[in-house]
Amino acid sequence: MSRIITEAGLRELAEAWLRDGQAVAGPSEVKLGLIQYRPITAAARLLFDGFVHPANSIKEFFFPRHEPLYRYRLEGSRVVLEDCEPPAVKQLVFARPCDAAALPVLDHVFNWDCADEFYNRRREATTVVTLACSRYDDECFCTSVGLGPAAEQGADAVLFALGGGAFEVRPTTAKGDAAFADRTEESDRTATPFAGPPRRVALPRVEFDSPVWEDATLECLGCGACAYTCPTCHCFDIVDEGNAAGGMRAKNWDSCQFSLFTLHASGHNPRHAQPRRQRQRIYHKFHIYPEKFGPILCTGCGNCARQCPAGLGVLNVLKAIEASHAEHLPA
Amino acid sequence: MRNIYRPELMQVIDARRQTPDVKSVRARFLDPAAGRDFSFRVGQFGIFSAFGYGESTFNICSSSNWRDHIEFCFRKTGRVTEALWEIDEGDTIGFRGPYGNWYPMEEWEGKNLIFLGGGIAMPPIRCAIWYALENRERFGEITIVYGARTVADLVYVDELDKWAAGPGVRVIRCVDPGGETPGWTGEIGFVPMVFERAGVPAGNSVALVIGPPVMIKYTLPVLDRMGIAPQDIYTSLENRMKCGLGKCGRCNAGECYVCKEGPVFTMEQLSRLPTDY
Amino acid sequence: MSETNGFEPKIVAYVCNWCTYLGADLAGTNRLEYPPNVRLIRLPCTGRIDFNLIVKAFEMSADAVLVSGCHPGDCHYTAGNYHARRRWMLFRPLLEALGFDLRRIHFTWISAAEGRKFQQVIAEITESARKLGPYRPYEANGESKWRPAGLPPPKRRSGDDASLRTTARELLAEGKAGVVIGRGERGPVLARKPEDADRLTWNGASKIALTAYLKRKEVRALGKPAIVAGPADLRALNVLEQESQIRREDIHVIAAEGPGAAPPDFSDLDALLQLEPGERMAYWAGEFDRCVKCYACRQACPLCYCERCIVDKNRPQAIDTSAHARGNFAWHITRAFHLAGRCVGCGACTRACPAGIDLRLLNQAAARAAERQFGYRAGADPKAEPLVGVYSLTDKEEFIG
Repeated sequence: MSRIITEAGLRELAEAWLRDGQAVAGPSEVKLGLIQYRPITAAARLLFDGFVHPANSIKEFFFPRHEPLYRYRLEGSRVVLEDCEPPAVKQLVFARPCDAAALPVLDHVFNWDCADEFYNRRREATTVVTLACSRYDDECFCTSVGLGPAAEQGADAVLFALGGGAFEVRPTTAKGDAAFADRTEESDRTATPFAGPPRRVALPRVEFDSPVWEDATLECLGCGACAYTCPTCHCFDIVDEGNAAGGMRAKNWDSCQFSLFTLHASGHNPRHAQPRRQRQRIYHKFHIYPEKFGPILCTGCGNCARQCPAGLGVLNVLKAIEASHAEHLPA
Repeated sequence: MRNIYRPELMQVIDARRQTPDVKSVRARFLDPAAGRDFSFRVGQFGIFSAFGYGESTFNICSSSNWRDHIEFCFRKTGRVTEALWEIDEGDTIGFRGPYGNWYPMEEWEGKNLIFLGGGIAMPPIRCAIWYALENRERFGEITIVYGARTVADLVYVDELDKWAAGPGVRVIRCVDPGGETPGWTGEIGFVPMVFERAGVPAGNSVALVIGPPVMIKYTLPVLDRMGIAPQDIYTSLENRMKCGLGKCGRCNAGECYVCKEGPVFTMEQLSRLPTDY
Repeated sequence: MSETNGFEPKIVAYVCNWCTYLGADLAGTNRLEYPPNVRLIRLPCTGRIDFNLIVKAFEMSADAVLVSGCHPGDCHYTAGNYHARRRWMLFRPLLEALGFDLRRIHFTWISAAEGRKFQQVIAEITESARKLGPYRPYEANGESKWRPAGLPPPKRRSGDDASLRTTARELLAEGKAGVVIGRGERGPVLARKPEDADRLTWNGASKIALTAYLKRKEVRALGKPAIVAGPADLRALNVLEQESQIRREDIHVIAAEGPGAAPPDFSDLDALLQLEPGERMAYWAGEFDRCVKCYACRQACPLCYCERCIVDKNRPQAIDTSAHARGNFAWHITRAFHLAGRCVGCGACTRACPAGIDLRLLNQAAARAAERQFGYRAGADPKAEPLVGVYSLTDKEEFIG
């Protein structure tokens, strides 16, 4: 037996959250041909299927691109600080499995040694409902990083399309259970497994000193499109905005692909050329993060390749690394 | 909600011009309880802020024995340091910290200490020097070689004499050729050469070497010739940082987050790190 | 007073040191009363007024802005006011396309002797701003349903792939080029070895302008570049040459067509301008709400070649780096203005944007003004004088009071 819900039922669920004054976010068509995860104000705008992956990730709902940390006010030589807090509303986020899978990975960095409560508060307040994939494109490589079209990591409930506007619901946490309580029907229909994309690359050993960086990443133009649409990239800047009377200090997204990212005040820059910055990104995902925290910092969503203006992206670089290893094998 | 990014407020009790573009600042916690609870180990750093301009990372260059205030020292090079340059006694600044690891002063006990510093790198050595002098009986001979490009670029000049007056302390100051003034009584030459000429006995020594990359590059062979092992040579990295909490992702050299596992490293540790610093 | 609920507008006036400021001074010494709503900011010359300052004034809740300087012929620096006039001829259409209320943006010539004119201008501007009510341009009301038709799909290039590959292979093999910059099936290709030439194709994919690679120091380090150039690339090369960024003899150009003579297609911009200003602003507010400041637009642009972009400069921080409405408007306005009279219409900014923002429309606002007011098309002629940077005594000034 399974629990099923109709598409109308899902929209009714979203509407109920909105009516309650809570937030709902999910894939929605922002303009012709462009689907993004967006906060939505009407459940009708939610898209459930008919596309592979939105052009961004759900990390924005946990780690916003701009997050005020506290406000300051200057009164003579006195400074008054006022904490900022994330909004208290609960969020319901409809996501792809590869986006949800980034959350348990991000939990590590935001909580090791000391806890970033801005992230944690949002994480606690959010119920993530994923819809298992039933299609993929050339950039998808979840199956190459140990995930798959129905990965449960980070999801509170997983939906499976049954066709005919019905979805099987498999809650994985209490939050997911609560979200669907009284909203599902018993059924004997269950989803047929979907294999997802073929394995596209065997995760290669990533070496710091290798000619592959220069060979395979020179096309990178140094924008942040990959990092900012990546569900796992989490680098940030801390900036002040304001004037002599008052203002705020905020945490803003930042990217290791920017040339200023590691520029010292002295003018020295350890990552002075783009291939070094690309190396940092790949090395961080497949060596540094797993060494430190266990999981790799990539869910194979493919957004980096889809959004890279220069046609790069993690998968392509991994393939180049794999090829370079093959080249160096004794004949 | 505990906000790990929120600084403590500190009142500036002294701001002193060390060179035409370097200032040292002493500050005290505005909240006496925060001051009482605060402790750090020499070698750790703090993130200091000028509100409206931003945060910047500096070594806490006072000794950890001083309970009344902490001190930091900076060169005017960017937005935040330009704003900090303007602060005066009585002004309020922000402080987060202490962050990072520290000099293993306990491990150094019973050993001779060699401090080699160049230019603005004296402050992160100064805290260790004061600490050693305040616990003089625990350490062996102390040698301090401090050089800068010109006489005007030397910081904490007034303290060099105080250190030299200590028992078993040898202070050698030097400036690059051409950087001397008519009344200059110190050495003329670069830190590595001046240090080698000084013929400091190397047995049972640890060295703390902080300075521009070129100084470190030429100092290491000298220490090697003296027989000081890489695991006894320490330095402090100054990778760019924002959060100091191992989250913002920019200070790492390979899997080592300099803000957490550093900034203090031995040369032996550095040799195993990717050259991303 | 009663009809405006006591609203007192804030007017920011950027005035030149030599004429208008003295005119204001004269108004003061002559006891000519003018409304206290105006905040005078003295600058050396109108030619020195960065458009960031206008944007900044609105950011800081000005309700109207005035720029005022010496009459033509009177500039203390000979021609600063002429430069200002020309730049305004391009900047105003940009603000118009963004949906700014142009009734709140004023430009006048006021001499040191015109204390009375100063008094009148301030009184008029204050009165009009009072009638218009408070101005919070970025807090757009509502959502615009308008959508541009968007960039047309790239035209098929007529070149022959086999001969392209032969040319590239030979250039690389003979050491005549260190890198051949072209397109491959997946995106741009930087061919460095003769065998890489096989990856090149005339009709490959590229969201960026290949000429954008000419600014990359990693690419410059490879030796003399050869570039597989389409019409827009050729126009970009012309602008880069005009601006002394490249010498043509230092670049090997492989082209199958000329830079193109057909007039640009402004139909989307024309449609945008049919909307009410408020809806235009709402449209852009909706678009910029998706901007995450990844700077793909800048990186993909052949003409954004500054070593350090203004948004990356922080002394002062002219543009907020935060990706909020204020920071995003300031960024896109500034970038569009920096491309005024320079944008070659390659569309790379729009294609590269991961948030699907049609940034091309902003650049077109200035390009259309350049075309209509000056008959100038960026990149058409490498020997032409850059549009912004020179002036003419006959530049139109119907917007100047």
